[in-house]
Order: sequence, then C-alpha cells, then structure tokens
Amino acid sequence: MPMRRPGFLSRLYQAALAAVLVLGLMPAVQAQAPLSGNDLVQAELLAEPQSIRAGEAFWLGIRLRMAEHWHTYWRNPGDSGLATEIRWTLPPGFSAGPIVWPVPERIPVAHLVNYGYDGEILLLTQITPPAALPSGELALKADVNWLVCQKECIPGEAALDLALPTGTGGASPATAAAFDAARQKIAQASPWSARIETGSDGYVLHVAVPGLRADRIHSAAFLPHQEAMIEHAAPQAFKVEADRLTLTLKRGSFAAAGLPQQTGGLLVLTEDTGGTQQRQAFEFAEIAYGAPAATVSAAGWSTILQAALLAMLGGILLNLMPCVFPVLSIKILALVSHAGAGRAQMRRHGMAYMLGILLSFGALAGLLLGLRATGAQIGWGFQLQMPLVIAVLAYLLFAMGLSLSGVFHVGGSFAGIGEALTRRGGYQGSFFTGVLAAVVATPCTAPFMGAATGFALTQPAAIGMAIFLALGFGLALPFLVLTFVPQLADRLPRPGLWMDRVKQALAFPLYATVAWLIWVLSQQVGEKGLLAALLGLVLVGAAAWTFSLRGQMAGATAGLLLLVTGIALYGVARNPVRSAAPQQAQIAPSGIRTEAFTRARLDTLVAQQQPVFVNMTAAWCITCMVNERTALSSDRVQAAFRDRDIVYMKGDWTNQDPEITRVLEQHGRSGVPLYLLYAAGQTVVLPQILTPAIVLEHLDLLDRVGSHGRQPQTASLSNLSTTRSVQP
Amino acid sequence: MTVSRRFLLSAAAIGAAGLLAMPQLGLASGVTVGQPAPAFTVKDTNGKTVSLADLKGKTVVLEWSNHDCPFVKKHYSGNNMQALQKKWTAQNVVWLTIVSSPEGEQGYVHPAQANKLTTDRGAAPSAVLLDPKSQIARAYGAQVTPHMYVIDKTGRLAYAGGIDDKPSTRIDDLAGAKNYVDAALSELAQGKQVSTATSRPYGCTVKYAPPTT
Repeated sequence: MPMRRPGFLSRLYQAALAAVLVLGLMPAVQAQAPLSGNDLVQAELLAEPQSIRAGEAFWLGIRLRMAEHWHTYWRNPGDSGLATEIRWTLPPGFSAGPIVWPVPERIPVAHLVNYGYDGEILLLTQITPPAALPSGELALKADVNWLVCQKECIPGEAALDLALPTGTGGASPATAAAFDAARQKIAQASPWSARIETGSDGYVLHVAVPGLRADRIHSAAFLPHQEAMIEHAAPQAFKVEADRLTLTLKRGSFAAAGLPQQTGGLLVLTEDTGGTQQRQAFEFAEIAYGAPAATVSAAGWSTILQAALLAMLGGILLNLMPCVFPVLSIKILALVSHAGAGRAQMRRHGMAYMLGILLSFGALAGLLLGLRATGAQIGWGFQLQMPLVIAVLAYLLFAMGLSLSGVFHVGGSFAGIGEALTRRGGYQGSFFTGVLAAVVATPCTAPFMGAATGFALTQPAAIGMAIFLALGFGLALPFLVLTFVPQLADRLPRPGLWMDRVKQALAFPLYATVAWLIWVLSQQVGEKGLLAALLGLVLVGAAAWTFSLRGQMAGATAGLLLLVTGIALYGVARNPVRSAAPQQAQIAPSGIRTEAFTRARLDTLVAQQQPVFVNMTAAWCITCMVNERTALSSDRVQAAFRDRDIVYMKGDWTNQDPEITRVLEQHGRSGVPLYLLYAAGQTVVLPQILTPAIVLEHLDLLDRVGSHGRQPQTASLSNLSTTRSVQP
Repeated sequence: MTVSRRFLLSAAAIGAAGLLAMPQLGLASGVTVGQPAPAFTVKDTNGKTVSLADLKGKTVVLEWSNHDCPFVKKHYSGNNMQALQKKWTAQNVVWLTIVSSPEGEQGYVHPAQANKLTTDRGAAPSAVLLDPKSQIARAYGAQVTPHMYVIDKTGRLAYAGGIDDKPSTRIDDLAGAKNYVDAALSELAQGKQVSTATSRPYGCTVKYAPPTT
C-alpha cells in the first residue's frame, strides 16, 4: 500500500516556521495560519503493477494533491517557481527514467507567467528492474521536493516508500484508473515535424501539419522545456496556412543571442470539435534549426516559370488525349473545309476558342482554390469525385461520338462547327467549342497533369491560377497557331471524302473515353446507380437517333428521352454508395474485425445483434488522432474488443460524407470525433475525450445491461432510437 | 507584537512620500545589460534619501528581497547573502536591498521591521529601500526574489539575473554553485568585461502592487 512519511527535514522546517512566527518577524497585518509545504501538498507513491517482474519495465507515480488554489510546477516553472524533483533510492540493478510530466497549465502572476498544476497530478516515472530478481519484497523509495505557491511560495518534501513483491507483474486494479488518467494528461510525441528559425524579435516556429484545418484551431502555444528560451508572458501569434502552423515566439530577456541550444517543448493546441474545445499537447524532444522546406513560402520566379512552362507543354499534349483530340480535330477539319474564310475572321475564331478554354479553366481553378481556402480537402479532379459529373461527362462524350459516327447531325455546336466558322458572328460556336474542349479535357488532366496541378495547389492563389491558365493556354495553342498562321492551314490536305472517314474514326476515342468514365463511375456508385447510368447511356443513344429522324414528333420524342435520361442521372446521384472501402470484414493485425462505416452495413450488423463500436474520425482532427493513439489502439481496449467480438467501424469524415454528417447530427454533434457503441439493443455515446478506462467502463456497462435486460426480440431500427447518452 | 497601526501607517506614508519623487514608470519595462540603469530616488529605512544618480563612480548592487520567500531564506539561512554583502561593501561597492512587496503581501515590511530583519539576520547592505508600489521593480523588470542587478561605475547595467546557477531552496546547493554576482563584481573590480552578463533569475515572484494608473 502507498505510504506517506513526512521527512525529518520537513518537520524541522515546520518547527523553524513556527519559531519564526513566535519571534514575531511576521507583521501583524499578515497574521495567518502557519502553513507548511507538507500541509499544502499530499504526496503519495503509487505503483502500477501488483508485483515486479524481472527485466520488465514498469511505472511508478508520485501523486501530489495540492490544497485549493495552490500549485506546484512543471519541468520549466516559467518566470519563477521551481520544478518538483524526485530522487529515487532503488534496489541494486534498478534504474529510473525521467519524470513524465502532465501537460501544465499556464498560470499568470501579475505580468509574469508560470507553468504548473493545481488540483491533483501523478508524476510518472518508468522503472527498469534487472533481468534477475531476488524473491520477496523489494523496497522502492522516493525523496520528493516541491515548491508549492499561491502568491507565497513554500517548499515541501516527502520521503515516500513502497514495497512490491517480485512476481509476474500485471496491473494492480487499485491504481489502474489513476495511471490511466495520468497517461491521458501527458503530451503525445508530436506526429509532426517542426523547425525553428530566428525571427525579428525572437524565433519563428514552423510545424508541418498536413491536413490540419485553420478554422478548427482555436489557440496554439509553445511551452519550451528550457526556462530562459522565451518571454513566457508574451503573446504568441499563430497562423495555420498551407499545411503549416507558424508561431511567433519572443526571445526571453535572459536567453543568449541566436537560436537556443535546447529547443524542445510542448505545442499546446485547443481544437474546436464542433461546439466544444479540446486541449491537446504534443511534445517535441528537439526541434531542428532552419527555415522549413520551400513549400511554405511562394516558390521562386524561375520555379514558377518552369512550372507554368511545363503546364503549357502539358496543355499542348492534352490535345492528343482521347477525350480532347476529336474536338480539336473537328475544329481543324472545319478549317480545312473553309480555308477560304477571311484571315481576320479566322483569327477571331481562334481567339474565341482560346477564351472559351481559359474562362473554363479559370472558373474551375477558381472554384477549386476557393474551396481549398475554406478548408475543403480537395485536389484537382475533385469534380471527378462527384458521380453526377462523371455521368454527365460520359453522356456528353457519348453524344459527341454518336454525332461523329453520323447518327445525328447538329447544326451549330460541334459537328456543325464548319458552318458556324464561315458565318459572320458565329464566334459563340468557337467559344463554346473551347468550353467543351476544356470540359472534356478534365478527365484527362486529372490523372495526367497530377504533378503540375499538385504544385499549383501548394502555391498562393494567384500563382496557382496562373499555372492553371498556362495549362489552358497550352490546350488552346495548336488551334490558335493554325488560325494565326494561315500558311500552316494552307498546308493541310484538301477537303474530300477522307474527312468523313476521319470524322467517323474519331468517334472511337470518344467511345473509349466513355468506357473509361463508366468504369470510374462503377467505383463510385452502387449497383443500382451503375445500372441507372448505363440505361441513361442507352437513352442518350435513343435520343440521338430520334433526333436524326427530324420532324416535330421526333424532336419531342428526343426531348422526352433526354428527360428520362435526366431521371436516370437522378438515379445515379441517389445511389452514391461509394464503396471505395471494402465491404467484407477485414481482420486487422490485432485480430479485431475492422470495417469502413456505411449506414446500411451498421444497420445490418446491429440487426444481427453484433456489437459494434463506431469511430467517426477525420484526418484533420487532432483529438481523434490522440484518442486513437492513447485509447482505441491501447492493448487493453484492443483485447476487450476482441474478447467481446466487437466490430470496429471507422467512418472517415475527412471529406464531407452526408451519411456520416447525418449520424453526427443525429447525436447532436456538428463535428468529429463521435464514438458510438451499439450492443445489447442499446446505443451509447462515448465522450469526445477517451481513455482506455472510459472505453472499458462503457463496455462493462453494456455487459451488465446485456445480462440483465436483453430484449427477447431481435434488435431493430426501433432499438437504435433508444439512444442513451452516458457521460461520466 | 503590538506594533501600533498609526506607526504602520506613518511608515507607509514616509515610504510613499519618498517614492513620489520618482518619475512615473511604465509597466514591466525591464532593462538591458549595457544600457544606463533606470534612475530612482527613494528614502531608505533610516530616512536617508538614496538616489542612483548620486552613486555614479561606484559599483552598485540591487538585491530584490522578500524575507519570507524560501529562495531568499536559503541565501540568508546559509549566510550566503550576508557574506557577499560584507565582502563587497568592504570594497566600496554600494549594496541596496530592495523590498517591493506592497502592504498586505508577503515580504512587506515597514522601516523598523526592515531594520530589525537586517540586525537579526546579520545582513550588511549599504541600505534597505522600501518600494511598496513596486515602481522600482517595474522599472527594472524584477521578476523574482532574489533578482540581482549589478550597475557599473558609469551607471550602466553590467549584470542582471539570478544569484547563482543552482535554482533551488536547498541550503545544501549553496556549496558548489557558481555565484554570478560575485563573479561579475570580481570582474568589474579587475576592470574586465562581465563574462556572464545575464542568467535566468530564479525565486518567488515579486509580489507586485496593482499598477497605478
């Protein structure tokens, strides 16, 4: 059992303090109860294991319970104060690690700042016993010194000891909760890399935080391990942008010039998790010197120019892609057949075509950059993540193919562009051909232009936009050159029957593109959605055919068929059971059945009375990450999941997912994390901050409910509605 | 313990009157080594006016104190502070102990109590200055007790920081600690540059009076 034995010195100190009081050195106005550091802090030594197993490291903790409003200090006490010290006296061969500190509070005192703790803390220390142990009890001793302050400061000390038998180890149930809670309060090793450089008035700390959303970070502060490094009370300006968190730190007045030798510390963030704020701390043992990698600042002009040039070349290449080539070819064929048109007119057509392309690219890029600025995690090609867009593109390309195959003839837009070109004022035709070229080019830009567009997205908006426009300019360039250099157009072969053959042949690359798009679609929608999409394709064919019959009836029928096609599209949109995640259960290495969240799958499992743990998370959610590391992936929780045969279902809300959003709203949340436990006909909402103990406690609760009051009938959706919230 | 309230009040009034002569100082301004030390004029616990400007040509030590602070106690109980005071005042250094606690806060003393403390502790400062509005503390950015400052003969700040390199309240730590103040004074006496001109001050927070507007 933990013991507390105030040391001889502290008794002496109390006596000394009493003597001071008696001697009357304290003025009358300050008469107050005699206090000692030992009255203000209760110290206790706790062990996590029941017994010590040879060679197996274990944890001891010094519990300090501070009197109300009094505090003890962190390893860096701040502007004043003193860190608590532990001196271990251990059996031979034992070694003790450093104190693993809880994340401290910032304690302002006048215009100064201290870092410390009030209430209760457990200072953890890892003890490593030797490989061989004698049998019997082993004595572990700790001499603890602290300074406890409110306004005044009083030192205190305790000589604590504890005897543990040698044995098989194993956690003691008496102290498990205390150690669990203590682990929850320590900082996580930072998953991010950081750099520190000198700034105007001190230092600038850069932390690479890919995917972190600026709007979720409510505050950020750096607490250095080293006392003199920064001016603790100075405000630390922070910003989150371009996947990077930047903190401005003021050099401490007692710090040496240049960069500090010791750079470690804690990054403390408060994250807004949809209404509530969670404080999370990440520890850096050491921070590298220097400016961060180039991506944070705008790249140099030569790099931008290079990227723009590459994008333009890529744009030219796009002309040869199966989705674009036919469009361009038709334009060129039109040129060939109307070589006699006025030079000026031709140039204007070329310009209109380019304008169409640039405007479309500009609009798409603007939308993309705008969405990124608001924090959406999307990349170029985001439009292709929407099944509806894919289906519409497929229909459009299919219709174009049918037109080229000669199924129908449209006077004006693309097949009839030849006429438009010769007509005065037919520039809209050229403009919309440009728009069309840009639109049909997107499925090809996404996979092939990844490097250029990826670079564009790391740049400030203006540069990103310039790169996208360069890509569009490249796409427009071949046709533009032909219209501006008539000699080239003159070189093109004379018109003739071959033109029809080429036109018909060009339909096939378009059909191939359609086939590819349908394949993409098949990954994004459920079976019903895919069927609807394919039926729509048939309907487009039928509409094209009826349209070619001419006459009022034919026109009306074609219109009707297109309307039905619209309904098919609606079917596609309604069935976006995007099952990118595998449907079948996966056995994770830990032996736990892990599945991706879908509402349908959850309902099925619940109906089968299968206990399910749902974790709604997102890549940018720090609290989620911390919970997963500290609680969900802990051995005890994993074992409990295994023992109870619980299916672990993970819902990824990194990108908006309406199904997950609905579940969040159902439980009154507007953001992740959300943890749900379905078992024994019950739904339990777990708190947003998890510890292994909290998870296990909820599992136990369900075990009890299950054994006492399991409903005879099978669980159904109606059971789901009896949602009970258990908040410890 | 029958110190009359009237005496207390009059003592405070004397202290306050002395401080009225001071220019209004900003909040937590702090000081930089190598720059002129902020001027102050104040009556000491014996009613004698002490002005930093009058001390040009002499090396001056400022020692922030709060006799109930465990860090201050460490240096007095271990006879460290008194020994330093005796050693350097004997070499014509002016040693000023400053108490910036306002009335009602830990460390606050009126002049008679301050003088009794000096006698009881066997301390040997040149003078003890009472700063109950914390104005001198603000001017120097004094953070803790004991926070130490050394001002050279030209009136420039030569050292600011802790008394030594062992931040603790243990008397045992006095032995083996590097005393920065002693080192700075020795170097100044030999006409040398102070090698360690700043260090992290350690101790109890100075019990600041609420800022006057």
